[in-house]
This record gives sequence, structure tokens and C-alpha cells, in this order.
Amino acid sequence: MKKRYLFMLLAVVAMIISACSGDTGSTSDGKEDEGGKKTLVFGRGADSIQLDPSKVTDGESIYVTNQIYDTLVRYEEENTEVKAALATDWEVSDDGLVWTFQLRDDVKFHDGTDFAADDVVFNFERWTTSAEFVYYGYMFGASEEDMGGIIEEVEATGDHEITITLSEPNAPFLQTLAMPPFGMASPEAVEEHGDDYFKNPVGTGPFVFEEWVPDDSITVTKNDDYFGEVAKVDEVIFRVIPDNGARFMELQAGTIDLMTGLNPQDIGTAEGDDALQIIRRPSMNVAYMAMNMDKEGPLADKRVRQAINMAVNKEELIELYEGIGKEAKNPIPPSLWGYNDDVEPYAYDVEKAKALLAEAGYADGFDITLNTFSNPRDYMPQPKITAQAITEMLKAVNINVEIVESDWDTHLTLTENGEHDMAFLGWTGDNGDPDNFMYVLLDKDNATVGSAGNIAFYKSDELHDLLKAAQVEMDQDKRTELYLKAQEIIHEDAPWLPIAHTTPPLAASSSIVDYVPHPTGSEPFNLLDMKE
Amino acid sequence: MSLQPIPNPEIKSKEIAEQQKSKSLGIEALLRLLKSKTSIIGLIIITILIVTAILAPFIATHDPTTQSIPDRYQAPSGEHWLGTDELGRDIFSRIVYGTQISIRIGLIAVGISMIVGVILGAVAGYFGRWVDQIIMRVIDIMMAFPSILLAIALVAVLGPSLTNAMIAVGIVGVPQFARIVRSAVLSVKETEYVEAARAIGGKHGRILFRHVLPNSMAPIIVQTTLGIGTAILDAAGLSFLGLGAQPPTPEWGAMLSDGRAALQNAPWVVAFPGLAIFLFVLGFNLFGDGLRDALDPKLKE
Repeated sequence: MKKRYLFMLLAVVAMIISACSGDTGSTSDGKEDEGGKKTLVFGRGADSIQLDPSKVTDGESIYVTNQIYDTLVRYEEENTEVKAALATDWEVSDDGLVWTFQLRDDVKFHDGTDFAADDVVFNFERWTTSAEFVYYGYMFGASEEDMGGIIEEVEATGDHEITITLSEPNAPFLQTLAMPPFGMASPEAVEEHGDDYFKNPVGTGPFVFEEWVPDDSITVTKNDDYFGEVAKVDEVIFRVIPDNGARFMELQAGTIDLMTGLNPQDIGTAEGDDALQIIRRPSMNVAYMAMNMDKEGPLADKRVRQAINMAVNKEELIELYEGIGKEAKNPIPPSLWGYNDDVEPYAYDVEKAKALLAEAGYADGFDITLNTFSNPRDYMPQPKITAQAITEMLKAVNINVEIVESDWDTHLTLTENGEHDMAFLGWTGDNGDPDNFMYVLLDKDNATVGSAGNIAFYKSDELHDLLKAAQVEMDQDKRTELYLKAQEIIHEDAPWLPIAHTTPPLAASSSIVDYVPHPTGSEPFNLLDMKE
Repeated sequence: MSLQPIPNPEIKSKEIAEQQKSKSLGIEALLRLLKSKTSIIGLIIITILIVTAILAPFIATHDPTTQSIPDRYQAPSGEHWLGTDELGRDIFSRIVYGTQISIRIGLIAVGISMIVGVILGAVAGYFGRWVDQIIMRVIDIMMAFPSILLAIALVAVLGPSLTNAMIAVGIVGVPQFARIVRSAVLSVKETEYVEAARAIGGKHGRILFRHVLPNSMAPIIVQTTLGIGTAILDAAGLSFLGLGAQPPTPEWGAMLSDGRAALQNAPWVVAFPGLAIFLFVLGFNLFGDGLRDALDPKLKE
């Protein structure tokens, strides 16, 4: 017993010493197996939750489903402009209510069945059968009472033509259809696998699902019959390596080729290594701390939420991002149109915060919990340390924070259920529209216990009216006006402590070429290649 | 044997002889302990740690929880002897205060193991039969789990906190004590003086606590010393996994965990807490080993 521990200790010490010695002799082996098979190994911090994109909102699931599924339209490689995918052409009626899509007639699902207009209808109908299809609800305003939301009817008006009728105009509609959750699943596979479909996904995308070993790896292989650009790598393996440092060491050792969730501290090391490269994903995200307004207690009081905003020294907090983040003051990132730069962020002022707390009746402070997650996210590379820093800052105004750390899956469930007081979370934009941030994350429509996107449970009618008006307005200048106003309301009510917008770094073996990370947080890997 | 004349009847003289023999055994053991270099080293390390824990407020150069984000990840210097961690806290001061926590964890966890284990083991060994069967089978089941796994499961049920980690580590250590005590009791209860005590009508409780247990102390003392090392390692493991000490408590395992993001750039953030754990465990193990050798009657010169 004792000897074993002694050995373990020695091993740890040896590891630390070897890590200190600087020479990390990384090897890049080009990843060619015996048959000249190119395998891309992608390292990340957490496993996918489901491989049915219509039921999830988390980036880890979408990373993989983005390979397997196609949407009617897709985003351009570098931005959120849309281009043809399963649909080759589309037009909209003058009143903005009727959309007609021409579909490709040469597409097959991975299970061999043909893709046709009926399949699109099947998918749309499927998404309205249950509240489990969360994104459909978020984006089209569906609820228990009205499962269809703003989509009135989806009709096959030809073998390869569909017509979608909306009950009201929706400005971001086309952008929304390009979101990975609206990927087209094979009706046959959905019916065959039933509740287990999420483990056996079948789409039309550039890669075919092969195997899923939970909490370990997901393998997809090249789809040789892909209608678009056929993938240049033969196989992609998504490996789960929870620890950032361990993942980076694997990259240095050449056992993985590409990784997300790089410790910001390691950027310099990667840049100084000829075998590695840093690729920066354009910024379209926000990290925040939501304050649950549904719970009785201090957080229901606006003054308390504002005081918390004032008590946190964001200038210092942002240093924990080690240069990859910028301070946030609004829920949408500055790269998005409609960003309100005139909003004056709550200045760091402990005295003023104390005064506000006293006014609200909490001069002596209070005890509260802060829920955080154990794995780093693109928008928050060091959740636990960030939580500790905020805890210490709030101590100055007598708020005693207890940190509760959960794994990613548990964290999402408990925040959707509103079990938290304060909680960290973040969002990476899906379609490049402010609606996708503000409506999903802060509208009262999405403050439903059990599937909340709005985990502050912030219910403002004034904001709701503005956001709804912006959805039906087709003129972008007018929409901009509405969103500017919306941001002022959100700032005043302070449901969040906005923390940061990041430019998430990915580290890759220098053998990887033509990899363009998409601002929405993930992208199909059919365009990238690995050279010798 | 004693050089003194034996003035009184047989039984009395035998008792005196027993006493003298045990006394000389104790002295002999102490001498053997002091002769062993490794156990002296262990003793020195333990003494330093205890002094550090007691005088922590005077030794520490900074407050262990005050953060200063702009000063994070500073290399060891005159201002920060062991550098600063991810939130700019002084690592030296955190390790110094961490000594208090570690010693507390060691004592409380092993205290739980010892009290529960000794009672269970003594009862099982002394009464034998079905009592023994039931207790020892439960102990067997507990031993079937790897200790850290059992501790994780217990904390998962109790909820993550330092107190619960101590309880979990304490429970995990019970089987060791129970087994050791049981085997000691099994041999001691067959000795003549126990038989004599039983013959004059001594009650079970009295026999167990006055005659049997005091004569089974040696292995308990050894196991306690060795157990402290194991307990602190298990507790550090739990804290590393986020199941033990909660931030900002300067617990060494938690410090290792929080600092590992900077392993490649600021190795001192993990190296020093790791070294502290290493020293602590080493000290108790060396001393425990020395004690075991010293108390082993077979090694009598």
C-alpha cells in the first residue's frame, strides 16, 4: 500500500520535473496509417450529449453533428452569409411569409435512401412533436401551447420543392435554417431507432457516423458520395480529454492533431513550437454570470444585481483570459451588427455597490451559491478560477459566495431547471443575428423551467415587445434601432454580469492546412487537409 | 530477569516480573527507534510540520486567500518566496496555512478510522463466532473497493466539502484498523493473564479494555502513524478532484488542481504544493516504519 503511494508520488514528481525541463520534443507524424489513411484526431474537453442536433444546444454535440448533417442552406466558410446546400435556390413572397425552396435531386442519406421534399416535411413535423427539440422552440417561438411557433405549414410542393408558410415575417429566418440544429435526418433511421436515434445519427453530410464510445471518442468516416466538396481526410476522431494541459501535451506528443480549449497560458508555448500552430476562431460569443431572478431572495432585487455588477472588477477579471478575451458590457458581441456601444458599463465601485446593497436591505450582505462547470469552454477558459476571483471580489461587499462545480452535462440540466442562484454560462452565436443572442438568452419566452435558454429567468414585457418587433421587422436599420434599445433595458435590469467576449484559440499540428474556424463555434471538416 | 530477590508468593512475583519486563521492552523500543536514522528524519519532518502549523500566522508572509490578479504566476522571488498562483496569492503562505489543514485532516480522519476500527476489530476478535463473522464480512466488502473509489462514492453521497472528505477518508481507513486489531486481540485473549482475569470473574468490557486492548497497542500505534500519511494523500486526491476542500481554502490537493493549467509555464504553482504533500507523507511513513520495527518483539536484541 504505502510503497505504491510512494511510487505514485515519485512518478508525479518526475512528471513535474520533466515538464519543467522545457524540451518537450514534439513529434508530428502526419497521421498516415498503413493504407495511407488520413485520420484527423480532434481533442476537446467534454463529450457530446446527443448526436441528434435538433435536441441539443451545446457546442460539443454540434461539433460532431456538423459533420454528419446538412441543412437546407449553409453558412459561408468565414461568415454567417448563407449559401446553397440541400436547397439550391429559394425565394420569398413580398410579405415575407411564404418561402419556397428548390432542393437538390442528387442527394442520398448515409443509409442509402434518397433525399426528397417529403423528408424535409418529416423533419419539420418531427421538431414540433415535443419540447425536447429545444432550438426549434428558441428560434421559432414554439411553446407547449403552440408547438409550431411561427411556422404555420411546411409543404412538399413538388418532388424537390418545399414551401414554408410563416404566420409572421421573420427577419433571420434564412440564417436560422443554416443552423446545425436544423440538419436533415433520415426519416427511415429516425423511425428505426426511435429513442436511440441520438446514438445512431444518419444525415447527408460530408462524414458518416461510425462509432461512439461515451466519454471517450466519436469516430466519423468520409462520405465518398457527398454532393459538396468530398472530405480530404478519411476519418475524424473526436477524443475527449478533459484536462486542458493534458490535451495540449497530447498535441505536443502528436497523438492528437487539433484541439480546442487551449489554456491561454499555453499559447506562447505553441507559437514557439515549429510543429504547432495557433488558429484563432473569430469572436462571436459571450460569457456571463446569470443571476436567477425567479428565486425569492436578494437576486430578485434589481439593486442587488446592479451592485454585484459594480463589485466585480472586470478589468482584473479579464486578465484571467490571458489576452484572448475582451470585457463584455452587452449580451451581444461587438462584432455583431446592432451592438450598442453607448451603453456605459457599471464602473467598478465597491462603495457604491455597498450603498446600493444597503438600500436594498442587505447592508450585512448575504450567502449565495455560484454554479460553475468543470470543463473549460471557448468563452471561459478557466471557469473555476474565474469563479474564485469573483467570490473574492464579492467578499468586499459582504456577499459570501459558495462555489458549486458540476460537470458540463449536470450544469446544463440544473441551470435549465433553474436550480441555481448565480451561474456561469456562455453562448456562441449560431446565425450571426442579434436575435439569436437576446431572444434566446433573455426573452421571457425562453425562461421556461426545464428548457430555459434564459437562465436568469428574466421576464421583461418591455424587452419582449422590442425583441418580437425586431423579429418581424425586415428592415435591418429599423431592427438595429430596436436592438440598441433592447440592450439599454437589459443593462438597466442587469439580469447578468456580462463577463467577456473571446477570440478562442485552437492549437493544431502544423500539418493541418486550409482550416478556417467558423465564428459560430464549429464547422464541417471536409475542407481541411493534412499534409505530410 | 530481575536481580532483585523475590520476597512474596508466586503470583505476586510473576506480576512484578511482567511489569518490569514490559517496562524494559518500552525502553528498548525507544532506543531502537532513536538508533534508526530514517525514523529520526521522519520525526524531524513531523516536528517541523507541527511547528509550522501552530505558528502559521507568524511564519506566513501574506494572507493566504487575498488575491491580486495582476500579480499572478510570478516566479519565486524575495517578495513571494515560492512565487504566486493563478490568482496572485502567495504560495508560501498558502502552503504554510495548508499545513494546519493537512494535519487536521490527518488527525481527524485517522481518529475516525481508529476509533471505529479498534472497536469493531476488538469486538470481532474477542467475541468470535457469529459476531466476528458479521463484522469481518462487512469489513471484507469495504476492502473489496479501492480506497479512493470508496472515498469518492462516499463524498458523492455526502456532498463535496472538507469535513465530508475527512469523514470519507476516515471510513475508508476503518477496515485496516479492524483487521489489525482483530488479529492482535485473537492472540492476546488466549494469554494466561486474560484467562486469569476471566477466572476471577472479570466482566467482558473490563477484560477487553483493561487487559486485552492495552496489550494490543503496538500495532495500533504503528497503523495510526502510517494511516496519517495515507489519509492526507487520499484527502488531497479528493480535493484535487474538487470533492474535498472548497476554494479558497489553501488545501494542498486543491492547490495542485487549480494550478495545473499553468504546469508548463509556471511549474512552481504545482511543484511546491506537490512537494509539501510528498514531505508530509514521507515524514509519517518513515516514522511509522521506524515505530513498527522498534515495537516488533521479534527484533529484540
